[in-house]
Amino acid sequence: MSALATPVAVGTGTGARRRPRPARSPWLHVTMIPVTLLWLSPIVFVLFVAVRSYDDIAGRGLGAFPASFSTEGFATALTEGGVLLALGNSVVVTAFAVFASLALSSVAAYALSRFAIPGRRTILLTMLAGNLLPPQILLVPVASITEAIGIADTRTALVVVQVGFGIGFYTFVLHGFMRSLPTEVFEAARLDGAGPGGIFWRIVLPLSRPSLAALAALATTWIFNDLIWAMTVLRTESKFPITAALLNLQGGYASAWNVVAAGSLIAAVPTAIVFFMFQKQFVSGLLVGANK
Amino acid sequence: MSKRTTISERALTRRELIAGGMTLGAASLLAACVGTTTGGGGGGAATTGAVTLQNSVQDAEPKAALEALVKAYQGDEVTLNSVATEQFRAQLTNYLRSGDAPEVLSWYAGSVARSYADEGLLLDVSPLWQGDGVCAGYSDALRGLSTDAAGKQIFVPTSYYWWSVFYKKSAFEKWGVEAPTSWDEFHALCENLSGQGIAPLTNGLSSTPWMASGWFDYLNLRVNGAQYHRELLAGEHAFNDPEVVAVMEEYKRLIPYFDKNAASYTAQDAATPVAQDKSAMYLVGAFVTSYFPEDQRDDLDFFSVPVINDSVPIAEEAPTDGYFAAANSDNHQGALDLLSYLASTQSQQQYIEQSGSANLPTSPDVDTSGLSPLVQKGIELLNNTEEITQFFNRDSSDALQATADTALTKFLAVPDSMKSILDEWQTAAEGVFAS
Repeated sequence: MSALATPVAVGTGTGARRRPRPARSPWLHVTMIPVTLLWLSPIVFVLFVAVRSYDDIAGRGLGAFPASFSTEGFATALTEGGVLLALGNSVVVTAFAVFASLALSSVAAYALSRFAIPGRRTILLTMLAGNLLPPQILLVPVASITEAIGIADTRTALVVVQVGFGIGFYTFVLHGFMRSLPTEVFEAARLDGAGPGGIFWRIVLPLSRPSLAALAALATTWIFNDLIWAMTVLRTESKFPITAALLNLQGGYASAWNVVAAGSLIAAVPTAIVFFMFQKQFVSGLLVGANK
Repeated sequence: MSKRTTISERALTRRELIAGGMTLGAASLLAACVGTTTGGGGGGAATTGAVTLQNSVQDAEPKAALEALVKAYQGDEVTLNSVATEQFRAQLTNYLRSGDAPEVLSWYAGSVARSYADEGLLLDVSPLWQGDGVCAGYSDALRGLSTDAAGKQIFVPTSYYWWSVFYKKSAFEKWGVEAPTSWDEFHALCENLSGQGIAPLTNGLSSTPWMASGWFDYLNLRVNGAQYHRELLAGEHAFNDPEVVAVMEEYKRLIPYFDKNAASYTAQDAATPVAQDKSAMYLVGAFVTSYFPEDQRDDLDFFSVPVINDSVPIAEEAPTDGYFAAANSDNHQGALDLLSYLASTQSQQQYIEQSGSANLPTSPDVDTSGLSPLVQKGIELLNNTEEITQFFNRDSSDALQATADTALTKFLAVPDSMKSILDEWQTAAEGVFAS
């Protein structure tokens, strides 16, 4: 845990330690404000498109400034577009998949990092190897496997596939983290009579909370934003996640861009919430494995 | 000592708890699997009463029209699944190969449907084309498009649309010009409009590079004729033949007339300069009407690409949409019943009226008198043409379309290296035909 916190502390600490400068340099703000605005511009653009009427977009082009204001886009996306139902599907699938993959991979990582399991290095590398394959070449096998075991076209299948593909990476990261936990803690617990299960539940899990939270934040965005597995596994429209529903909002020939933009904004809300909730872990999540 | 035992006892209960939790989790996950499977299986077992319609029709109004049609269906219970067209294209093989394939799927007539039929994935729908079947009265052109290599019908066409050069009547009036009737007049018109500072032609090639094939198809139809065009797309001629070079020479003459931003527009964006009277004409399918603001749609008119070589029969492009049924589904009768319903005169009438776009009925019995003047004119165009083709990808394959996209994009950027581009195109096409 301390290992994770140090780089952040170093970054902020050193400058202000000695010789306090008279005033903060304005250059940070001078450069960062325009960069921030530039960063926000696509979202502002989507917002502009979302509140225009279709006739305004068709007549004056997608890039023009709004000459009309209408919430028609949001209304259509929510009612005819089925965005709400799809959002529900996404939330359910994401919640189950994130929970299940973290639960399984933390158990696996604990076993692999703390017990002398024969060939554990090979096991770990095999699990990770799955992540090296591009998903595209696995589409057809996954489609036929889900069908062969009779779970094709179910949300359960999607959860299983997401867990299957996520678990290798999560285990790898958690393994690295759990290995770095000091041995003394385990020895002390063992002296107090705790068995392997007790150690896992009362020592390892609480200590791994930061890395679990970071992985949860990452996994949530990955699974929530997935389209390729959803399209491979699912066929029934009422089970589609939000990503597929957003594509459905686009037309084959003509797209009502205001509806698409409105749908995209609605779809971004859950990930935004997760991001703000786990903001701290999200940043440290990017450092996971950097200093294992 | 006693302390220790309590701790270890506690640990044990914790462990049990975890183990219990894990098993429970796994069990519930499994149960969920089984639950949903039996649900799906139950649906499968009771198939006599259920039909799945996998739909790739995307645009808002046609989709709503189809939903209304399906809702009104009196037969089996229909599950309508709409999937975005490009995803649908990618998944279509999976759908058809699946052990429990959807009964009916919307897709394209012609060589695309035929290639799936060759793999044995499509249901024989000839009963609908015989006797008093719903398609028995359809035109021979449609019958040809719906027939596979073995002579069986495997497709049910329900609507089609036409390609033409679309323009705004009010804009032509404002600029003091008229629709051309000959190829020379067309060039004179383009010169005139360029002189007025207006881009004569628009096109949208950024994310829709296949739009460049529209002009290729029409120029080939006008220079070499429909027969040659079909043979070319079937691999019987080479893309670097002198006939194709002649087509590209004509294409080259048009390049200066295109809107400078054509390469950065999408097919839909390309209609905006026409709506704003900055660009004059657009060779595009009749779906273009929905690109315009509602109050401009009645202002739209079109003319067919003028004759270039009058020794070849006049031909038009009319992509045909409809449905086929999967051979792997377990409710064949339900599929045929649903197809009959969707193709019936009444359903077509209702679909075309509600879909609001410029679709034409395939059934000759549909009363077209209530349709808009533009659609009436489209029907007349197709009734008076001698030959009908569809579109580059539908007359060949998506793989060959990709070679056309590459070649034409390069050609429009560097028209002077046309010869070498055609050679490359031919090499790429040979690769497609060989595979």
